[in-house]
Amino acid sequence: MTVITHTQRKSRLSEMLDRPGGVSVGVALAQARANLDGLQDQARAIITENIAVLLAKPEPDLIEPMRLDLAYSASSQIIDAASPFAMDDLCTAAKGLCDLLDAAPRHGGFDWRIATVHAQAMKVLLSLPPEEQAARTAILTNLHEVLRKKLPASDQSAT
Amino acid sequence: MSGGESLRESAVFNLGGAITMIVDDSPFSLTLTSNALTGFGIRPAYACGTGTQAKKLLTDKPIDLLVVDTDMPDIDGFELVRWLRRSGPNPNAFTPVIMTASHIRRGRVAEARDCGANFVVTKPFSPAMLLERILWVARDSRPFLEVGDYLGPDRRFRHSGYEGVERRADMLRKANGMESLAL
Repeated sequence: MTVITHTQRKSRLSEMLDRPGGVSVGVALAQARANLDGLQDQARAIITENIAVLLAKPEPDLIEPMRLDLAYSASSQIIDAASPFAMDDLCTAAKGLCDLLDAAPRHGGFDWRIATVHAQAMKVLLSLPPEEQAARTAILTNLHEVLRKKLPASDQSAT
Repeated sequence: MSGGESLRESAVFNLGGAITMIVDDSPFSLTLTSNALTGFGIRPAYACGTGTQAKKLLTDKPIDLLVVDTDMPDIDGFELVRWLRRSGPNPNAFTPVIMTASHIRRGRVAEARDCGANFVVTKPFSPAMLLERILWVARDSRPFLEVGDYLGPDRRFRHSGYEGVERRADMLRKANGMESLAL
């Protein structure tokens, strides 16, 4: 197979990186953290909203592939909103649900109780105070067990 | 490198002049990324909610760093980056690209590997991890390769000898003295 190597160019980004001035890593991270902290309430509201989507009764005429995509999108949005605020347990639960929905047959047959269990678990995780580590671990262990049983063996390597 | 732990707190960088574009269909994610970048001293010049909007701007404006979401309804991140890499003589064709993903569907992992992005970051990621990736792509000196359908940075990160069980077909053929059959 032919391989064409394009001439190496230095990106403008690399040229400006070491210019005088700028900011230290410590200061940059503190500033970013402060900028993000103001968005935490909004993030929690988005997570709550998407958990509600997962728990809602589907429209009767909603076909299976669209229902799967809707749930997948809600679960992805939970990861998006939870991720910058170190809500790693919520991300783990939502990622597990994404894996299950992604592996679900598009023509029907997905056990929707799994989505409900994940959504209820996420609701509890969101409400638990940070010090309740044992409860968080127990919830994630149970969800992992669901994932292990329900995810096809070929997809297990991703978990 | 993972989790941002390899960043030295006292290290100084200057990306104040970087013209950055963020592409994400979620307004909240756009705000999150934009706020993190602003904290790093990088003022995002363009925030696009669609791949189509981004494509238009990438054709006209010079961009130093592109941060793009994978999953978007019109033109997704993979398609956008694949188009960008093939958009020469557009100078942005070689722009460093970081892709962000909340989850990558199993069927799309190959696309993530083959679209030509410098780095794909899956969430959860912290500001430290994002900064680490930005500094990494800024210093990324891999040559751009065009191999079959692929055009982007050389995907081989390790250039040292492999110490595990050899499973690469061409290497096995070499080892078995079947070099002449290769390709």
